[in-house]
Amino acid sequence: MEYSSLHRQLATMKKSFFDQGFLDEQFFQIEELQDDVSPNFVEEVVTLFFKDSLRLMGNIDHALEKFPQDFDRLDSLIHQLKGSASSIGAAKMKNECTVFRDFCDKENQEGCIRSFQKVKKEHACLRQKLENYFQLLRQVGPVAKATRSGN
Amino acid sequence: MAALAISSCGRRALLVDDNVINRMVVRKLMEEQGIALEEAENGKKAVELVKEGRVFDLILMDREMLVMDGPQATKQLRSLGVTTPIVALSADAMQSDKDSFLQAGADDFVEKPLSIDKFALVLTKYGLQDGQAADQ
Repeated sequence: MEYSSLHRQLATMKKSFFDQGFLDEQFFQIEELQDDVSPNFVEEVVTLFFKDSLRLMGNIDHALEKFPQDFDRLDSLIHQLKGSASSIGAAKMKNECTVFRDFCDKENQEGCIRSFQKVKKEHACLRQKLENYFQLLRQVGPVAKATRSGN
Repeated sequence: MAALAISSCGRRALLVDDNVINRMVVRKLMEEQGIALEEAENGKKAVELVKEGRVFDLILMDREMLVMDGPQATKQLRSLGVTTPIVALSADAMQSDKDSFLQAGADDFVEKPLSIDKFALVLTKYGLQDGQAADQ
């Protein structure tokens, strides 16, 4: 059945996100909150995350351009982004934010700039993956229930 | 910013956090427990809510926020005579940060992100779990 094939594809896709370190346990926590009352909760949280994170990254870009030596400001901004990433289980993004913070601690401007490029790259990559995932999820329909094992 | 979800069970919580994602997740956690939740995006707004006469059974307080951070807000709330349990929330906090938050008057410290299990433990500890009587 086509449904089974789509369902397997979905499960495989999701498993790969975890196996490749893009997502961590926190994503499962978000999935656990999805129910009949909020049947699209996961997608809503993720959509909000990508909207908010774009805003935050814009602020960081601006700060790197206008205040590149204001490491307190940069640290505060990346802390916010890291917090958001952590809340949805965006593991690779969260880790790159940590690297950025380390460079802020060391007041290493070049390091901050390089690291932020990686943050943006991870953001774009995750966004693409999750967009594909939700597109497929919509095809499978509301019957599909997220499983931890990905099977 | 404050948003109140009315519930029939009488339990009320205040979430003080500048992160929209965290607020969305905690909102959902609270809804599932039938707990009325108000939200404040920084410590200053939280203090204003209390000064307006709002009363809560539990306050979840983020550490790092613009305008007024968690420890400052906690100190002010305690100086206003607020005895509501205040649970500090933070990610990556060093021990000194945790200590200063607790010294400011927080009752507890929980690492972010908040999982379903951690949330349940907090509710149980402070008497807000479904079926428990909330302390007044």
